[in-house]
Amino acid sequence: MQRRHVLTLAGLLAAGMALPVAPLLAQGVDVEAILRDPAAPTAGNPKGDVTVVAFLDYNCPFCKKAAPDLERAVKEDGRIRLVYKDWPILSEASVYGAQMALAAKYQGGYGKVHHALMAIPGRGVSKEQMAAAVRASGVDIDRLNADLQLHAGEISSLLKRNLAQAESIGLQGTPTYLIGPFRTSTLDYAGFKEAFAEARRRQAAE
Amino acid sequence: MAGQLLARAVRSLALVLACLSPLSASASEAAGFTALVAPSAARAPFTLEAARSPDGALLLRWKVEPGNYLYRDSLEATLDGAAVPLERPAGEAKDDPNFGVVRIFPRDVEASAGGIGRAGRLRVTYQGCSEKGICFPPQARLVNLASLSIEAAPPGLTSSKADASSGESPAAVASEAVAARAVDEGDGIAALFRGGLGGTMLAFLGFGLLLALTPCVFPMIPILAGMLTRSGEALSWRRSLVLTGAYVLAMAGAYGLVGAVAGWSGANLQAALQTPLALGVTAAIFTALALSMFGLFDLALPAGLAARLAGRGGNGSLGGAALLGFGSALIVGPCVTPPLAGAMLYAASTGDAATGAATLFMLGLGMGLPLMLVGLFGPSVLPRSGVWLERAKQLFGVVFLGVAILLAGRLLPPPATLALLGLLLVGSAAFFGGFDRLTASSGPAARLARSGGMVAALYGATLIIGAAGGAQDPLRPLAFAAARTAGQPTADTAVTIASSAGFDRAIAEAAAGAAGSRPILVDFTAAWCTVCRSNAAVMAAPELRARLAPLTQVTADVTDYDDATRTLMERFRVVGPPVLFLVDAQGREIPGTRIVGPVTVEEITRRLDAAGA
Repeated sequence: MQRRHVLTLAGLLAAGMALPVAPLLAQGVDVEAILRDPAAPTAGNPKGDVTVVAFLDYNCPFCKKAAPDLERAVKEDGRIRLVYKDWPILSEASVYGAQMALAAKYQGGYGKVHHALMAIPGRGVSKEQMAAAVRASGVDIDRLNADLQLHAGEISSLLKRNLAQAESIGLQGTPTYLIGPFRTSTLDYAGFKEAFAEARRRQAAE
Repeated sequence: MAGQLLARAVRSLALVLACLSPLSASASEAAGFTALVAPSAARAPFTLEAARSPDGALLLRWKVEPGNYLYRDSLEATLDGAAVPLERPAGEAKDDPNFGVVRIFPRDVEASAGGIGRAGRLRVTYQGCSEKGICFPPQARLVNLASLSIEAAPPGLTSSKADASSGESPAAVASEAVAARAVDEGDGIAALFRGGLGGTMLAFLGFGLLLALTPCVFPMIPILAGMLTRSGEALSWRRSLVLTGAYVLAMAGAYGLVGAVAGWSGANLQAALQTPLALGVTAAIFTALALSMFGLFDLALPAGLAARLAGRGGNGSLGGAALLGFGSALIVGPCVTPPLAGAMLYAASTGDAATGAATLFMLGLGMGLPLMLVGLFGPSVLPRSGVWLERAKQLFGVVFLGVAILLAGRLLPPPATLALLGLLLVGSAAFFGGFDRLTASSGPAARLARSGGMVAALYGATLIIGAAGGAQDPLRPLAFAAARTAGQPTADTAVTIASSAGFDRAIAEAAAGAAGSRPILVDFTAAWCTVCRSNAAVMAAPELRARLAPLTQVTADVTDYDDATRTLMERFRVVGPPVLFLVDAQGREIPGTRIVGPVTVEEITRRLDAAGA
């Protein structure tokens, strides 16, 4: 019901929140590595024409608020490739949540865990609450535990890579969405739709 | 059996030492969160200032840029690891149907902390978001309490105390990997935590048993025996056991009460116990206790007091026994103060009255368990003396001295602590017979004891050598030697700078020197940056060393986030370390040579090839 955060893309552009990504190329940032990190979990249409990169934290209230809208917009659009960048910067439990979600990827369960964790409201979610949500999400916990141990190195290097990438493009906080050539923070459903359309228009023009 | 008891006791003492030891704090910080967050060079939405009110209280002011807000509960301060209570305004309620009510500060806010001294550095952390829908990473600042100057600190969220106590494997702590913990099947984390608490309780029980072997508890035996004999000649063993049980439970209850207070008062007590005075006094008491263990003097209750106590509980009722137990705990308390202080520190660090009470209750129970034997069989069962008891006492003496040194270590320079530990080890090796002559008829036990003594002596000697070399880490006393040799080859071409002007000077010197017009490698690094450390290891790889040797290397050390380093970082658009790039002889960055984050030999080689270096 609360629509205070309704921000159109135009408004964001005016406020300087949606920044074109292109200048980053000039700074020597490896954009391709950010868009196509093979280890990063993806959703949506793998062959989509617009790539959305979501830098998220499991203790970030805005990420949680925007998550259902983003999901719905991506699903309805049908041609969006969504890349999840776990960027746990807000709390220690965030790191823990990100590790569990990434461990679930090895059994194809990243989405389940991601949605379970994003569905816990608030910004002070504890490790225990996260663990309970993961157990209830329907992934194989034994397998997840084993993968957490087995792939600890890969998971931690992916998290570090995400951190380095976020740093290299000067991200300030969560959530940050790279939508085609734009960078933005929290949007609502209409905002995402508009951003997708605008990104597509820009890409076509180039 | 005595050996087992000792082993357990030493282990539990190690646990308490872990709480006392300055090593534990830094270890958990390193393994925690620091590596994942680096300061951002962008304009800060929040800035912190510090001042003193006329009455001496410390005032912390946050300037909040319009459109942003701070979370009220995120404003926290710690001094030497202990929480400092902050007086914060109530703030505004932000009612969000998604997240419930949170209290926030959308405008500048001031918090105050009374009773803060003028020495040390107060660590202040805070976190907030923008109304535009973005949350910023937690920020940490160090407020110099003498000058009120403020510097940035890595916002390391130390792992919670519960985690620290549940015995994380050293490998996980030591590795660079973010400490990962598996979800337990069944009840998950909650079960894991309970397991950890259970282990802690057992450890405290063991620690109590160890304390029961100190002479402090012996005065309780005549008190107890007196109570039992006076309560009637026809005392069944069952009645005797019940009475002893009431006595022991009440004693444990008294300690539990102390634990509850310690846990409830939380970090305040910890802070109080961390002052140089308290540390010094505690170290002195430990030393005195150690000397008493070596037989220099005896610790005992004044005879009159013991007799009065015994008389008071003479009626043989349950209540009387309980009262006697409770009283004894408080009377005997001062004698076991130093170890008790350690246990209380642990209880306080949990910050939870229930946990504090439970752990100290277990400690009291452990101290009382041997007394149950007295209740069962009479006072004759406990060995009053003997060679083993003497040996055990000496061993505790050594342990107590070690504790005293670790406590004093917070006040002494690290090499001095190392030297003292070395002396203690060599000394105890000699006293325990490590240097005694072995004869052909010496048995395996004697030979094993000698080897143990000699190993202790060797380690002790190594520590002393390490101390002489300025080493700080007791586990790596000779690391200083290795560090020196590793640093040598690059010493003539590497310059460390921390300002824009320093950078220009370094470039000018390089251009005038032998390197001439070769590209210069610029490396942004910081002491808190763990990735930088592994990068340094990559650059020290043999295949790169030869390649890098002819190049001038400029290391920009941005450990201190001040104006100078900030300007330097802005000049090269560096968000945070690690960043590596090549500049030409005029100090201009060579396009395409920048590496942000972890580096590999191949990546650096590629950049060097591209720049023609």
